[in-house]
Amino acid sequence: MILSYPVLCVSLQQIWPAGAIMVGLGGSFALVLLIASIKLKVEVDPKIEQIQKALPGIDCGACGYAGCSSYAKAVAKNPELIGKCAPGGAATAAKIADILNLQVSSGGHPQRPVVHCNARTDDKTFYATYQGIESCTAANALANVQACKFGCLGFGDCVEACKFDALHIIDGLAIVDYEKCTGCTACSKACPRNLIEMVPFPQENIITVACSSKENGKTTRQMCKAGCIACGLCAKQSDMFVIAENLSKVDYQKYSDDEKVKTAMQKCPTKVIIRVGKNIEANAQPVEKTTSE
Amino acid sequence: MTLMDTVTALILGFISIVLINNLVFSKFLGICPYLGVSGRIDMAFGMGLAVTFVVTMAGTLTWLIDHLVLMKFGLEVTRYVCFILVIAGAVQLVEMYLRKFFPSLYESFGIFLPLITTNCAILGLCLFLNLWEIDNFVRAVVLSFGAGIGFTMAICIMAGIRENLELADIPKSLKGAPITLITAGLLALAFMGFAGMIK
Repeated sequence: MILSYPVLCVSLQQIWPAGAIMVGLGGSFALVLLIASIKLKVEVDPKIEQIQKALPGIDCGACGYAGCSSYAKAVAKNPELIGKCAPGGAATAAKIADILNLQVSSGGHPQRPVVHCNARTDDKTFYATYQGIESCTAANALANVQACKFGCLGFGDCVEACKFDALHIIDGLAIVDYEKCTGCTACSKACPRNLIEMVPFPQENIITVACSSKENGKTTRQMCKAGCIACGLCAKQSDMFVIAENLSKVDYQKYSDDEKVKTAMQKCPTKVIIRVGKNIEANAQPVEKTTSE
Repeated sequence: MTLMDTVTALILGFISIVLINNLVFSKFLGICPYLGVSGRIDMAFGMGLAVTFVVTMAGTLTWLIDHLVLMKFGLEVTRYVCFILVIAGAVQLVEMYLRKFFPSLYESFGIFLPLITTNCAILGLCLFLNLWEIDNFVRAVVLSFGAGIGFTMAICIMAGIRENLELADIPKSLKGAPITLITAGLLALAFMGFAGMIK
């Protein structure tokens, strides 16, 4: 304690010129930079800032640009890009159009992902037990762990890709939570088997064929209890269903929700035609197992 | 010393810092942008010019500050802080200038532009000026400028090689960073050949 006082005294005397010089240097540089910032000011188009405010600001990349700010710049230059923001949807498109003094035509319905598989763990057949990396991409590289080459692997690459917690693996199957989904397309890009398709939703929930198996009916039946066997019953009821490559598909151009389609849904022997979207509870239940002879 | 001698000394100093004491090849400074921005030759050249500007300005200013202020007041200990202050200020200036006049270059630099502040080649040069006991102002300016030119040359050679490497059939395990580092090493080795050129 006796020593520390004079040491402090000396160092204080030595410190002040250092401090003064630092303050002087810092001040002069600050002044130069201030002048430079005024002289070299970059005028940003106020429209770009407005557009950026109108965007959701989640940088999901669904528009094909690195983030919301680069999309805002692109859309201000080229108004044709207006409808590209999937999470923002029609509301954002209208806002941007308003900023750019344009009128947006009501183009199309919002796109939402549909998982084209309906097989829970109980429905699937496995040739082996997979013990590798817990990822669909890794499991997909290994042939024939799961019998069906077209079915959901259930490791949740899509869940990982989703920024909105709108996808969950339930009983080995990816289920979309349409209340949370914004339609950003991240999951459809993440799925190594391309099971997740972006589909226009004209109403809150739609009917779809939840299978992608292109095997013939017999093979599909052997491998999976919930696969489309391409029997054609649905196509007989309504021309909305098209059978191609051993698979029934919905032609979304002709989409309707009439009685014929509902009959087709009931008649489907493997119950693979299901309703997805908001405000339905029934389809979250596992598929009733069809009795085999 | 006649004028001729001075000019000769300056030219020799310039050549020496560009080829022999090249900051990248012989001192291994500034490796971060040297590897990070040498993917394309136009970007590498832009980076080189930005670094040249900053290092010339920083070298000149720090020499002045060092000799006129710090040494007079016996404050050599604050050298590092003062030098970093000068460099950071110069980088800010470059950044504003580029954003105004070369927006596309500004976009493509991304994070590497503000990172010039932490480019050790620049602080290294400022400290070398003191270490080599350069007591002539003109010589300090020439050396600072030469350091920048040396860096530009290094990064442009590297970018040229890497552009051609894209087409080469490289073993899979060497693709990307490994082959880049090997290339950097071989280049440095080649430049060792200049050592002893100036006595």
